[in-house]
Amino acid sequence: MSTSNYERLLRLAARTQEQELSCTECFDVLPQYVDLEVAGAAPERQLPLFRQHLEQCGVCREEYETVRELARLEAEGRSPSIDDLRRTL
Amino acid sequence: MTAAVQHAGMSRRTNAEWLAALQGGDGKDAALSDLRTYLLRAALFTLRRARHYVGHLGSSALAQLAEDCAQESLTAILQRLDTFRGQSHFTTWAYTFAVNTALMAGRQERWASVPLEEVLEGTATPSLAVGNPAGIDPEQHALRAEALVAIREGIEQLTVKQQQLLRTVIFEQVPLDEVVRRWSSNRNALYKLLHDARRKLKSYLLARGFDVEEILDLFAVRA
Repeated sequence: MSTSNYERLLRLAARTQEQELSCTECFDVLPQYVDLEVAGAAPERQLPLFRQHLEQCGVCREEYETVRELARLEAEGRSPSIDDLRRTL
Repeated sequence: MTAAVQHAGMSRRTNAEWLAALQGGDGKDAALSDLRTYLLRAALFTLRRARHYVGHLGSSALAQLAEDCAQESLTAILQRLDTFRGQSHFTTWAYTFAVNTALMAGRQERWASVPLEEVLEGTATPSLAVGNPAGIDPEQHALRAEALVAIREGIEQLTVKQQQLLRTVIFEQVPLDEVVRRWSSNRNALYKLLHDARRKLKSYLLARGFDVEEILDLFAVRA
């Protein structure tokens, strides 16, 4: 067992709040947060608990990062085509 | 959010137009076909990005997995259309379902055959040898050792389930979804279990005279 495991645990414990979003609440807020972020707004002010949940929950964080990438590409008119995606699997 | 999003060969739709069409209005078939295309794109994109989970699968297996995920997320979306509140683009909302479904499938592909019984069913708290790095004065070394004992005891006062989950997800970094699958539970319940464990540990350390931030400072680790 390395100290890094304990460090990871302590970082998570340090940022623990009494009230946190559940994963379902995070899922429900995610598209709104992403769209605000892609539009250049500051969603963390409007939805502070969302960011806190992402710090604690790796699976939700990974989903958020993927949706954000998709939404950014779409907003920039650079969404990959299905054929390109299939070719590069 | 009312701005419409468009892709080549697809109709431009506002959120209201998506909802109206999918709920049986004019152009339902076209809307379903376009939505399925969005979802397939999102599933393919997600699986391509998640090579750490599905890198062992061939391209045809991945393409089939993406098709399955697109279909599963389409079904989920149609069942939950009435929960869409219009606070985002409809397509971003839809992507969330496809990405969630594809990542859950990817995580299962990666972890399903990995033996986790020892960590998931074990009860031993991991031991931690306290080193004595050069340049650390004896007083600081003693404080570090005391803090580590408190952390270890703090973990031991958690429930067995909390300890197992904490060890698996935080120490071994197994995705929460895999524990959900093996324990036949759900994300919310296990997230709550971990949340309670973190709160309990934080309070225990405080009662022992250690603020978590101070421990991190003691080991020069920034939260």
